[in-house]
Parts: sequence; C-alpha cells; structure tokens
Amino acid sequence: MLRTLILAILLVPGLVLAADPPLAGDKGGDADLEAKLDAARERLQESAQEVAELTNQLNRPFFQKFSTFNGPGGRAIIGVQLDRSGGNDGAHVLEVSPGGPAAEAGVRAGDVIVAVNGTEVKGEEATRQVVKIIRAAKPDTKLSVRVLRDGKTQELTVTPRPGPGIMAFGEGVPAMPAMPPFFMVQGPLSNMELATLSPQLGKYFGTEKGVLVVRAPPDGALKLEDGDVLLAVDGREPKSGSHATRILGSYQPGEKVTLRVMRQHKTLDLEATVPEPSPGHRKDIMFQRSPPESAPAPGEVIIMRRTDEST
Amino acid sequence: MYIDPEQRQNIARRLRSLPQETRQPYDWIEFRRRARERANASSRRGVNGKKYATLAAALVVAVMGVAAWIRLTRPDMSLSAQSDATSGSGAVVIGPPDTVEARAEVAERWLASLPDEPIVVRVGTRATIAGLEDRIAQLDDFLSMARAEGAQPAKLTAIEEQRTRLVNSLVQVRYAETLVSASR
Repeated sequence: MLRTLILAILLVPGLVLAADPPLAGDKGGDADLEAKLDAARERLQESAQEVAELTNQLNRPFFQKFSTFNGPGGRAIIGVQLDRSGGNDGAHVLEVSPGGPAAEAGVRAGDVIVAVNGTEVKGEEATRQVVKIIRAAKPDTKLSVRVLRDGKTQELTVTPRPGPGIMAFGEGVPAMPAMPPFFMVQGPLSNMELATLSPQLGKYFGTEKGVLVVRAPPDGALKLEDGDVLLAVDGREPKSGSHATRILGSYQPGEKVTLRVMRQHKTLDLEATVPEPSPGHRKDIMFQRSPPESAPAPGEVIIMRRTDEST
Repeated sequence: MYIDPEQRQNIARRLRSLPQETRQPYDWIEFRRRARERANASSRRGVNGKKYATLAAALVVAVMGVAAWIRLTRPDMSLSAQSDATSGSGAVVIGPPDTVEARAEVAERWLASLPDEPIVVRVGTRATIAGLEDRIAQLDDFLSMARAEGAQPAKLTAIEEQRTRLVNSLVQVRYAETLVSASR
C-alpha cells in the first residue's frame, strides 16, 4: 500500500502538470480556475455539513428516546467514559470524547481520576462518585480533577459545557439548544470566517486578545465588518474561533446580544440581534413537542412532529 | 568648401564599402509590446506557481485522506501486530475482525492527531463540529453513568453504536475542514 501511495503522490501532480502547462493559461483562465477552486471548496464544506446533518437525522429517533431518560438538555458534560471494572485506585478513564471539555483540559484515556474538587474517590464506588459529581456540576463552572498518570498525579482543570438538548417549540415548552445550532449552520452566520489572533497579529490590530473577523456575515448580520476583532459577546471573551462559534451558538434566533469589538483601533459596543435561519431550511429542522401535560413517563419515546405539519 | 570630384567619388566608394548598418532589432512600440509580454509572463508564472503549490498541497491532503479512509475501512493490521507483539507469541497473524471498536479507535487516533482547529474557521462548519463533539461527550458521560449503574449490555452496545456513528461523522466533517484549510 505504501508503494501505491508513493506512486500516487508522484504521478498525480505530474498528470496535472502535463494536462495544463504552467504558461499556457491567460489571466482570464486563472481567474476562472480560482473561481472553480472556490466553488469546489464551498461544495466540500456544504457536503461535510450535509453528512453531519444526515447523521443527525438518522440519530434523531435515538436522541429523542435518549433525552427522556437522560433528562433535559443543558446538563453539564465533560466527555469521559469511565470503566467501572478498571480497579479500586480511582475512576479509570476508558475513553475521552474528541474535542470535549475533558480532552481540552488534557485528560487522556488510561488516566485514573483520584479526586474531583478536592474530594478523593477510590474503592468500588469511585466511578459512581465521579459520575455523581459530574452530574451535579454546573456548566462553565471549573472542576479541579486530579489524575494518576504513569505513577504520578497531575492536577487538571475541566470546564464542563452545557449538554445539547433537542430543539423544542410549543406552548409551555422552553426552547432548548438544538444539535447543532441550525441558525449557525444554515443561517447568515454560517459563512462568517473567524481567526484566532496570534500575538503578532494582535499587535497589528491593537489588541492582545479576541478573535479576528476575517469574513463578516452578509447583509450586516450582527453588525460586524471584515477586520473587526471580536473581544466579547455579552461579556464572554472568545479564546478562539471555535469558542466564539460556541458562544454565538448558545443564543436563540431573535435574541439581543452585545458584541464588543475593536474596529480600526477603537473599541465599540454593538447592539445586535441574532439572525434567523435562512428561509427554506427552518421548517425542515424545527420540531414541536407534545404539550407538557401529555409528557410520557420516563423511558417512553417523545413524539415529535414537524412545525409545518401542524398547518 | 571645395571637394575634388575624384576625391568625392573616392569617399563615396569607401562609404559603400563599409559594412551595412545593423538595423535596430525592433522599434519602441515593439519594445513596449515585448516588455508587457515579459511582465505578463512573469505574473502568470507567479500566479501559476501559487496555484500549483495550492493544488499540490490539496493533493497531498487528498492522498492522506485516501490513506486514512483505507485505514478506517480495512482491518487494522498495525493494531493486530501490536497486540500480537505484546502477547509474545511472535507469529504474524491477520488482523482482528473488522470490529466497530477497532475502527472507532483508528478514527479517534486520527482525530487526536489533528490540530485543535485551523487558523481560519468557518462558523457553519465549526458549529457542526461543535454539535457533534458535544453529542459524543454527552453519550460518553451517559455511558459512564450507565456502566456505574450496571445497565444492560444491550443498551450499552446500542449507545456505543450511536457514538461510533457520530465519531465517523465527525471524522468526515473534520477531514473536509482540513482539506479546505490546506487548499487556501
């Protein structure tokens, strides 16, 4: 297989060069190629999002059922699988969720959690103790986790996130964040591009922290402009492009939000409204839950129906 | 000034005998045309160089993606060799069955090898990734709880299968994001 890969690496660029000699094109041809490359990138992004959306749809019945026995969305999550049969010296970490809070904090598979927030956990009940503490934790409240790794203890700080719920709209039913926040995926914010500021880039823009808006959302959504540095969203300071995405995704369409930005070396507070998803997508993604009085007993499946079916 | 006719003829003969004047290769208009052409060619070379560097980067990532895909869709030989080596039998065996766990492990290793995020992130793609990551984390926490409470193995297996599906989806979206980022 290695030989095939090496051959592919050597042959493919050669074929491309042979098909289009470097000096054969003119300026119009280059612009055309650039446009095609941009369009291909766009399709790639859209395809990836479609893959995720279809996976979500496929998993939706499972998550509807799951939500009934796991409680409402918004519960704190840290993203670790603990192994009950690992041993009595603590709670053994079997898996760490990719990109989850525990992974971000540096927890690794194979670690043994020996204390959380100063409470030592050991014996047969270690796993159960850790699970209990995690379930009682509040999102965005730091947890101090002591782990045993290669015979040495390490102190790590995990910041739990609010767990995703199922989008629900209806009388008396509070709206919960969907998975993923669809107005971010399919709305005007979806095309926004962000970059984490490096110290050098920060000097240029006149700030040490924040996230650079490389491409602002179209139609003046959120009142952002290309080249703004996003310093805070209602006081929450984004540390990276991903973090800013998560912060913005925690809002509902139509909600008011205050964005602190650095624009041309001046700090501004922008009062904006979180935009609605693009028309045409919303009916496909919004679900309405049955009224609360008919809520099923734990373990039963909640019947969801599309909002466009009710009309 | 008087010049003797004979002398004049002599001068004229001498002049005719001189080598013919070399004509300018091209005039000013032609010079400007050629200069413009040279500038255009140089600019094209720059654009083309950039374009081919981009294409080459995209191709390398694509080939890496194919390799990753082959690794994800075939039994993991390296895992089998490693487990065999640790077992000490010394014999080379064909890898373990194409288990869900083995494939998920390879996928997660690939995810762990990626940087946290590209320099420039697109909000739509990142929101999708964030959503998948949160769902996986939610399932993992729930699996911990279910195991601690001694849930039925069938229930655990069902949740693990959903988790694998989400991880595979995450791999695909992150692969697309990496590819787009590399082709910028």
